[in-house]
Amino acid sequence: MRAADWVVLVATLAAIVIYGVWKGRRQRRLEQYLLADRQMQWYTVALSVMATQASAITFLSTPGQAYTDGMRFVQFYLGLPIAMVILSVTAVPIYHRLKVFTAYEYLETRFDNRTRTLTAGIFLLQRGLGTAMTLFAPALIVSLVLGWNLHLTTIVIGVLVIIYTASGGTKAVSWTQTHQLLIALTGMAVAMTIAIRSLPDSVGFTEAVKVAGHMGRMNVIDFNFDLSTPYNFWSGLFGGLMVALAYFGTDQSQVQRYLTGETVTQSRLGLMFNGLVKVPMQFFILFVGAMVFVFYQFVAPPLTFNPVQSTKVRTSAHGAEYQALEATHETTFAAKREAALQLVAAIDSGDADSIARKKADLQTLQQRDDQTRKTALALIKKNDARADAADTDYVFLTFIMQNLPTGLVGLLLAAIFCAAMSATASGLNSLASTSVVDVWKRLIRKDLDDHTYVIVSKWMTVFWGVFCIGFGLYANQLGSLIVAVNKVGSIFYGTMLAIFLLAFYAKRVGSTAVFYGALIAEATVLLCAWKTDMAWLWWNVVGCVVGVVAALVIQMFVPARPAATA
Amino acid sequence: MTEQPPILKTWPRLYAAVLGALALEVILFAILTRAFH
Repeated sequence: MRAADWVVLVATLAAIVIYGVWKGRRQRRLEQYLLADRQMQWYTVALSVMATQASAITFLSTPGQAYTDGMRFVQFYLGLPIAMVILSVTAVPIYHRLKVFTAYEYLETRFDNRTRTLTAGIFLLQRGLGTAMTLFAPALIVSLVLGWNLHLTTIVIGVLVIIYTASGGTKAVSWTQTHQLLIALTGMAVAMTIAIRSLPDSVGFTEAVKVAGHMGRMNVIDFNFDLSTPYNFWSGLFGGLMVALAYFGTDQSQVQRYLTGETVTQSRLGLMFNGLVKVPMQFFILFVGAMVFVFYQFVAPPLTFNPVQSTKVRTSAHGAEYQALEATHETTFAAKREAALQLVAAIDSGDADSIARKKADLQTLQQRDDQTRKTALALIKKNDARADAADTDYVFLTFIMQNLPTGLVGLLLAAIFCAAMSATASGLNSLASTSVVDVWKRLIRKDLDDHTYVIVSKWMTVFWGVFCIGFGLYANQLGSLIVAVNKVGSIFYGTMLAIFLLAFYAKRVGSTAVFYGALIAEATVLLCAWKTDMAWLWWNVVGCVVGVVAALVIQMFVPARPAATA
Repeated sequence: MTEQPPILKTWPRLYAAVLGALALEVILFAILTRAFH
């Protein structure tokens, strides 16, 4: 990394931290600190909601997924716009009317303190782990690229986030997120432009899309119903809807973002904007990955994308075997490049038979190369049992470091850091809110003045920051990051959603039925995750359905509850 | 009483627009997928 890259990276990060601290200065009331005085306009709510979900994992891992697996991951987001509409109709007016600080506070109004504490506890566990992984992703980048100590890097990034999140609260988080998201998306657009402009002269944008399509990277929609397939239209629509309802409706890291809206209208518009833009945005990020795939049809990629592991295996007892695989990869690439150029020529000629023949040739070579890569990754695992054999998360980073000009490398790294910081900041902010409002203020000290609760909130932000740094140091054992984050969430989201659905719609169901229904649902999800090969998106559906049905059945055997208050 | 949205005049219309955009995206994705199937 050159000096210009360092200047861009350091200046961007410093500007974000200083801006956050400045924006959030002089806050003495809890509503001011945790909810920005409920004064945010729709565009800040919208960008904050989007930036919270779009972490560095999104910008690093998603293009890598498109590179190896095509664009079908976009189906995961198909339920999101529907969820935005449902939440705008139901949750937003209720939360605003009750003027709650957290989603779980509402559950005490509706059920009892036990249900509130249970859901707050689940949130703290799940979001604490999720935020730790969100923090870990950029640390992985820097340590990998610059040879920094991974632990030290995690600590430095974590401390930067803690500084402006603890000092400035929600106002600092929301305002920095608007800038961070714009920087991140600009970085992605720059990367895609460079990938396309670096293709051979005969390969324009249209040809690049067609090559990606012929090589199976434009497989956006799959209408086949299959419970064991992670991403298809049905799992995206139903599983994705459940995930989005649970995430945006019951996860404080998101609820807190739209609770800052000045009115119901401002919060609703923020969610509607997210519903409108999220799917195209994810498509765009995956498309960048597909273009990187096309780029690597013409420029030789490394055999494997984790440079630390490839260096390690090269110098090990398996070195000769690995180098033989590298030689095979180079030979295959040369043939593949020629076949790709011939496919482009066939596409330009418009001859369908020729296209089919050249496509088959290129696919055969790609399969051969995939097999070589698979063998190499298995060798890495054989050499080091603790190594992460999946190198999907390194693909986009490798492309950035090896192919972007000076200055733009710094910009892209800044973009990835911004994404990581924004999602981490939301996580810490919501963890502090729940810890203070649902635990400290409710169960430990009810009698403190508002300013003291602000101070406690700041210390809670620091506590959760330190927790996330500590856990993040061990996150590199968890495989592909984006899948890991979503898997952890999916263990709990179905149950959480069941509780909130019962709260919103089943007015006859009381707290005892909900509490035990939730425990049964969580046990069922854990059983599915442990004992079956059910794809993780369906865990959300199972948790939700079992939770609702179990609570309704239990309610038949317990005394009826009094009329609902909300 | 909730105020009306600044565009499309009513909330149901705005919700329909968001869901309509989703349906359009699915159709476009299906066309894109079929083009290379």
